[in-house]
This record gives sequence, C-alpha cells and structure tokens, in this order.
Amino acid sequence: MTMAKWRWTHRIVGFALSTGMALAVLPAVDPRSAASFPAGEEKAEVKIDNFAFTPQTLTVRVGTEITWLNGDDIPHTVVSEDKTFRSRALDSDEKFTFLASKPGTYTYFCSIHPKMTGKLVVE
Amino acid sequence: MNPFDPKAAVLAKHAQHVVLVHFPIALFLTGVAFDLAARRMKIAGLAAAAYYNLLAAAVFVIPTVVTGIAAWQWQLAGQKLKGLLALHLALGCASALLIWLVAWIRFRQRGITSSSLPAYLLALELLTAMVVALTGHLGGFLSGVNVPA
Repeated sequence: MTMAKWRWTHRIVGFALSTGMALAVLPAVDPRSAASFPAGEEKAEVKIDNFAFTPQTLTVRVGTEITWLNGDDIPHTVVSEDKTFRSRALDSDEKFTFLASKPGTYTYFCSIHPKMTGKLVVE
Repeated sequence: MNPFDPKAAVLAKHAQHVVLVHFPIALFLTGVAFDLAARRMKIAGLAAAAYYNLLAAAVFVIPTVVTGIAAWQWQLAGQKLKGLLALHLALGCASALLIWLVAWIRFRQRGITSSSLPAYLLALELLTAMVVALTGHLGGFLSGVNVPA
C-alpha cells in the first residue's frame, strides 16, 4: 500500500468512526427521544417522610410513572390542586402511583396536612 | 393572609375540626376537675361550675363532630377509613356519646348537691376523660402536633 492510499483509508475509517460515535451519542442528548418510550416505561419516586414530599419538585417526561411512598408513621394523601390525581389515605409504607400522560405543572398537597405541598412538572 | 380577616379564618386551608375540638376537651376536663374538687371540698360553687362546664362541653361536641365528619367527607372524599384514622373516628364517636351521657345525667340531677351525686357518675366522668384524652392524643398524632421534631 502506497503512502497516499494509506492516508485515504485512514481518513475514511476516521470519518466512519466519528459519524458512528456521534449517532450513538445523539439519542442520549436529545430529550425528544423519550417521546418514543412506551407509557410507564420510565419511573420516578417521591418519598413522603417527616411531613414533606422529597423531592419537593419533580420534573419528568410524559409517560413516566410516578410513585409516592409514605415513609411516615402517619397517614398522608397526595391530591393535585386541579384534581387530576387523588390518592386515598396512605398508611405507612403504602404507595400511590400516577401515570403522567399529559404535559403540565401539577401542584399537589396532602389533604390531611395541607402545609405539605409538592410540584410535579411533566414535560 | 391576614389572620384577623374573617374570610381568611373561615376559608383557611385547614380543617376547622382541629380548631374547634379543643373547646369540648377543655370544658369537659375542667368540668371533671371541678366535680372532683367539689366532692372533696364540698363547695357548692365548684359543683355548679362543673355542671355548666359539662353542659357547655356537650354543646361544643356538636360542631366538633360536624366538622370532623365534614373533614372526612371533603378532605378524604369519604373514603373507607382504616388504621389511625378509623381508630380516631371510633374513639371520637365514643367520646361524643360519653360526654352527652355525662351531661344528660348531670342535667337530670342538677338539683342534687355535688356530695350526693352517685359514685358511678364520677367513675363515668373519669372513664370519659380517659377516652377523650386518648382521642385527642390520636388527633394530635394525625395532625402532626404530637410527632417529635
């Protein structure tokens, strides 16, 4: 193989490798790629502990299944202000799950302890 | 929010039950304390004070029960209760019935001096005080007041 041919081969292989790597990384960078996820495939959790929702603000993508887990010894509820979701009274270690199917910002609270508030942002 | 604005107080984002419940508890326990003191010291004035406290407690039970049931229906959408909430409801109903029973017996015997009141009445008052205290303790636990920081 001549020197010129070797350089061309090197350039073609280099271009192919960088293009392949760029294509492989792209879906992880582009947030719109989540739109193709089946509903409920992504999951998120909000812990209820010591009279607080943690995290206080949760941002998820459409189709995410959010679970609230009551870690307190006292019953709590999860009620969105616009009544999109409403749990029953959750005793210790009980869960409530909501599938975020519509984008929007949902502020919610515990109807037994209205000082307990949280925010769910669905993008 | 202005705490002295009547609209803010009535429509506050908390159950009025937790505010009103303190009245029958305080009135009833004070009534029992006065009855015990009247029996021990044989002072008619204390017996009269006990009588009016117990009667007032019975009256204040009404808005307390109404707001408690309203909180259950509105805040929890009337769902079937279990655990602490169910226990609090059961003990709350028992407390209300016992306070009314004590007040009714006391009302019927209002002419009798405190020293001649039947012994069972004092036992009933003490039993009611215990049930009321237990109900209040659970209520405080549910509201988060009794939870250690």
